[in-house]
Amino acid sequence: MKRIPLALVAVLGLVTTAGCTKKADNDEAAAAGKKPADVRIALIPGGAHPYFQPWKTTAATAKTDFTLGDVTFNETSGWDQTKQNDVVKSLAAQGYNAFGIFGVAPENINSTFEDLKRQGFPVASLASCPAGDVDKADFCLSTDVEQAAYKAAKAAIDAIGGSGTLAHLTGNKVDSNTQRRIAGVEKAVAETGGKVTIVQVVTDIDTDLQTAQKAVADLLAAKGSQISAIVNTAYNPAVAAAEGVAQAKLPIKVIAIDDDKTILDGIKDGSVAGTVLQNPVGQALVGSYALMRLSGGCTMAQPGVEVDSGSFVVTKANVANYETDRQAKTGELRKDFDSKYLVCQ
Amino acid sequence: MTAQLETPAPPDAPPRTPHRVPLWANPRVGLVVLLIALVVLFSVLRPAFLNTRLTLTPLQSDISVYLVVGLAQLSVLSLGHMNMAVGRMAATSAFTMGLVHDKLGAGLVLSLIAGLAVGALLGALAGLIISRTGVNSFVVTLAMDFALAGLITILYSGVTGGVAFPAMPAGMSELRSDTFADYCIGDVCGPRVPLVVPFAILAALLVGLLFRLSRLGREILMTGANQRAAELSGIPTKDRIVQAHAVSGLLAALGGFLLAANNGAFSASLGDSFLLPSFLAPVLGGTLLAGGAVSVLGTVLGAALTQVIYKGLNLLQFQLDRLQLYIGLVLLAALSLDRARHVLAERRGNRA
Repeated sequence: MKRIPLALVAVLGLVTTAGCTKKADNDEAAAAGKKPADVRIALIPGGAHPYFQPWKTTAATAKTDFTLGDVTFNETSGWDQTKQNDVVKSLAAQGYNAFGIFGVAPENINSTFEDLKRQGFPVASLASCPAGDVDKADFCLSTDVEQAAYKAAKAAIDAIGGSGTLAHLTGNKVDSNTQRRIAGVEKAVAETGGKVTIVQVVTDIDTDLQTAQKAVADLLAAKGSQISAIVNTAYNPAVAAAEGVAQAKLPIKVIAIDDDKTILDGIKDGSVAGTVLQNPVGQALVGSYALMRLSGGCTMAQPGVEVDSGSFVVTKANVANYETDRQAKTGELRKDFDSKYLVCQ
Repeated sequence: MTAQLETPAPPDAPPRTPHRVPLWANPRVGLVVLLIALVVLFSVLRPAFLNTRLTLTPLQSDISVYLVVGLAQLSVLSLGHMNMAVGRMAATSAFTMGLVHDKLGAGLVLSLIAGLAVGALLGALAGLIISRTGVNSFVVTLAMDFALAGLITILYSGVTGGVAFPAMPAGMSELRSDTFADYCIGDVCGPRVPLVVPFAILAALLVGLLFRLSRLGREILMTGANQRAAELSGIPTKDRIVQAHAVSGLLAALGGFLLAANNGAFSASLGDSFLLPSFLAPVLGGTLLAGGAVSVLGTVLGAALTQVIYKGLNLLQFQLDRLQLYIGLVLLAALSLDRARHVLAERRGNRA
């Protein structure tokens, strides 16, 4: 029994040694020129998160609107890159032939994109771009997170009258998107020339609402009186900060992210100064549209191009009609893909 | 390959017929049957399960990673200890590999050796603290896990300014994407086995040999079965504890390397998901949590079983809630069947 694996290792070792040649990479590219009915798109977020819930309904809309073969939404990656790779390959084995992916690990995701591209599948990096300067997907359609964080910090600075102190609540520190968000807030603060300072950056509290609530309670207990505004660049901290500040009745301006009901109610009643909205519907809808066109034979004018899906500052002044702006941006994105980003024969 | 300590019969005792476990009661046989049944079931329900390129090849890579991680846990389970820091040891070692490559320009082999050395040192440190202080291994390695989690973040942000190294040593990309089928001698090409698989086979083989044939392995198992008795027999149990933990750290580092190869980067979050699978593979395979008995072959089967279940359920495209429910149910069924078989075998043995 012991000899067999030894022999196997020896044989495998021999194959890798000099004298053997590497076969040309001949994985056949999936045929371009597919009709929409033959296109089966998989939208794969990094895991379950409220942000991605609009993708689920948008998947159904895209299937109907573009008469696609199928559009599925699979959120079983569990925020684990290995599991996500497995989910992607399983869906490919099931016949899905175009992929819109929110990579769990922006620093690793290019490898996944490369694998899919090698097999000829069109790939979109949705809601997050790979870390670094290279994007191996056909395109990235995402909120420019640094820009969104910058806008949120600017809104907070405006809300406190241009001077004071900020606390920044955000997600997983070992995520390059979080690093970009921190950079965005720091940029806005640096522009004040010292009038505004950051008292604390709290990371790793976007795992669930309970963790975020506890962190906000601790922050308010320890430094509540020193903080003029809280900038949130992650979903759970935003909801927790909106609730926490309202309950503590502290004069802290909260800038949230996304449009959870707690946050929108807070904007309406004045306890939340504003929120920065992203465009998940636009990402899923326009992403699916572009994937369909790429499957149909179009190519990218600039492969790996990063497209900002838009971020919108919403305050009490425009809380009633922000959806119109967002829909307009989605329409504009689709036109941009047709006119600027895609090259179709 | 199962290694277990047996009490030797006194020299003047009459020869005793060894208590034979019927074949069907062998947990490894049970696992093989279950594995075959699941493969058949998933293949019937989803023929894509047999897709070589998209299912079977990645499945082998995943099994390789989790087999090595399972072996890392097995090495300390042999003592009745736990290594709760298995993931962070992997991440710290992967950081070393990235650092050695990025800053010193080292190639694949040198980077790997440096990473393995750091993994072994971290393991040895855990073993040293456990053996010298007498504090429970769970507590020591859990504390180490927390400390390393912080350290990894500090190290990555200090050295890379981010959470991953921008480049990998030459050859890592081939390890990820190539199989032996891509390499040919004349017209004869290898099987569609990923290049990472031999690493795992070699690790399993060496760990199997360690516990089965070497004096060191037998003494580690004896320490795990009864430390006091082992001490009285003249075994330097404290050293054995350090050595078993060092092996665990070394294997965790290898697991980290294989995962980095599969995923494409040395990153801070690497190894986050190692902890539960590290226990699942050996325990499913018959390794005792109490120490004194390990099963390397069982760990191979345990790792294969968990990955087959995961892959099969993925192909069935269950949504998250159902996926988790069914993974839990299938694992519970596997463990219960194993226990039922064991009890039945014991009853029959008693009757005989």
